[in-house]
Amino acid sequence: MRKLLHIEQIKLLNYNPFRITLALYFLAFSLGIIIYPAIDKQIPVISLSDVFRFPDVWLFLAWITEPYNALLALIVIMITTKEFNNHTFKTQVIFGLSRSDLLLQKLLLVVVLSLFATLLIGLTSLSLGLIYSYKLTFKIAMENTWILGRYFLAAFSYMIVGLMVAMLIKNTALSLLSFLALRTFLDPVLWLILREHDIKWYLPFRTITRLTPMPDLLELFQRKMNSEEAIDESAFDILPKGLDPWLNILMVSIYVGLALFFSYSLIQRRRLS
Amino acid sequence: MKEVLSIKGLSKSYKHVKAIRNLNLEISEGQAYGLLGPNGSGKTTTLSIVTGILRQDDGSFSWFGEDPNPMQRRSIGSLIETPHFYPYLSLVKNLRIICDIKGLGYSDIDRVLDSANLLERKRSRFSSMSLGMKQRLGLAAALLGDPKVLVLDEPTNGLDPEGIAEVREMVLEQVKTGKTLILASHILSEVEKICDHVAILKKGELLANGPVKELLTEDEIIEVSCADNGKLSKALQGTDLVSETSEENGTLVMTLCEGVSAAEINAFAFSHQLVISHMLSRKRSLESQFLELVKQEEE
Repeated sequence: MRKLLHIEQIKLLNYNPFRITLALYFLAFSLGIIIYPAIDKQIPVISLSDVFRFPDVWLFLAWITEPYNALLALIVIMITTKEFNNHTFKTQVIFGLSRSDLLLQKLLLVVVLSLFATLLIGLTSLSLGLIYSYKLTFKIAMENTWILGRYFLAAFSYMIVGLMVAMLIKNTALSLLSFLALRTFLDPVLWLILREHDIKWYLPFRTITRLTPMPDLLELFQRKMNSEEAIDESAFDILPKGLDPWLNILMVSIYVGLALFFSYSLIQRRRLS
Repeated sequence: MKEVLSIKGLSKSYKHVKAIRNLNLEISEGQAYGLLGPNGSGKTTTLSIVTGILRQDDGSFSWFGEDPNPMQRRSIGSLIETPHFYPYLSLVKNLRIICDIKGLGYSDIDRVLDSANLLERKRSRFSSMSLGMKQRLGLAAALLGDPKVLVLDEPTNGLDPEGIAEVREMVLEQVKTGKTLILASHILSEVEKICDHVAILKKGELLANGPVKELLTEDEIIEVSCADNGKLSKALQGTDLVSETSEENGTLVMTLCEGVSAAEINAFAFSHQLVISHMLSRKRSLESQFLELVKQEEE
């Protein structure tokens, strides 16, 4: 495993498109963090910086940065399809890797990128929480850190879907377009078609995005106003409810398992030359 | 001699094209084995299967008497068709990847780059290399770790005459050190110069195999005329001077046995009171023998 990781390290750290896309991811992430407080100054009563306080900061950042995972999936697609296009999968097999190793090295890359994304959001949330919080106790600060586990699973799932698309299509441009079409077109269209049915919550991308759902801003608002009065929550029924969190995690795990199994079957059967 | 590669009943089809049909081969340690055949005869498909790139439809093969596995490939140096490396990486970094796969240290990289005459370009990107340099790098990668077995598929493909000579020289040097070589080529002279054993393939079928000396020898053929061709032909029968005699347009055409010269035939005729009035030497080239063999099978 260390050997496979080292091989990936040599390939990736010298690959400009990888470095550029990762820099873009970092930039988009950082810009988001800078821009939100700037918007905040123009909105009275409800201060957006409230959501940067412990313990809400963990949930809020996980929710708003979730779409960036698509960028990580694009990186995985780009790298995997290039292996096919440059015939370097073939070279690695000739010199002694098994076909399973080819998948395993990409899987390790996905794990490393997922850890990187989780670490980034973890450190950012921690920093913002320390800057914006009034009350600072260890218990409050750590209250919602469980979301990091879900964030890791979300990033991992996105990239595994990307990996499967790359293994299936092999062509870089077509794979990127297909993934984006799945994420931004097919999934929303299916959502609209199935809007009357509960099955809509089982759509793969929907279950992944629901891993880091929109935090309960209503409750936050209530706390901010220090209101004793209970707000009529029926007015907020339009807020998406979705599946039970554990069922949602189970569904994502099943989808990830299926995508990995499909990718494994593909790499075993694919012609590498 | 220990068995290196054993191929049994190997078959592979691409949709409607049969690339290999029931191929059987045995290659032993220390042999320089040539797979010879015209384009599309199944040489690359065979080597692609035994190096794990392709899966056979039928049949089996074993390396060193064991079922194929990735570990075996780490102890074999292979170059299949055009070498493919990461275009944005330098030669050294590309070879580091191969070293990592094979579980080798990086200390051998400079040696193989030097033997391929690429040491000065070690920091250059693979994409900046000429075809000849890429081919030499492929060969250098195959030599990493000094493997006992080399599998080379058309190593001189696309090279200029100077490049061909360089690569052949590199391969010959490896053969001299006692390595087992499996070389696929459609160039007869290449196989003849480098290999001691040869398998001739056509349309995926094995036409013949055996030692190069037996299968592909440059027979010396002479045309002879004398006052009594029949008498000379009869006298030569049963001697170890000629292996074959026939008459064409009043001239005897005879294939000389190995080591026999035309002068000996002249002396033999003279000793039988026959004076030769016409003698012409014509060598049957390897090319014509190869084509003859391929043609025979078609008939």
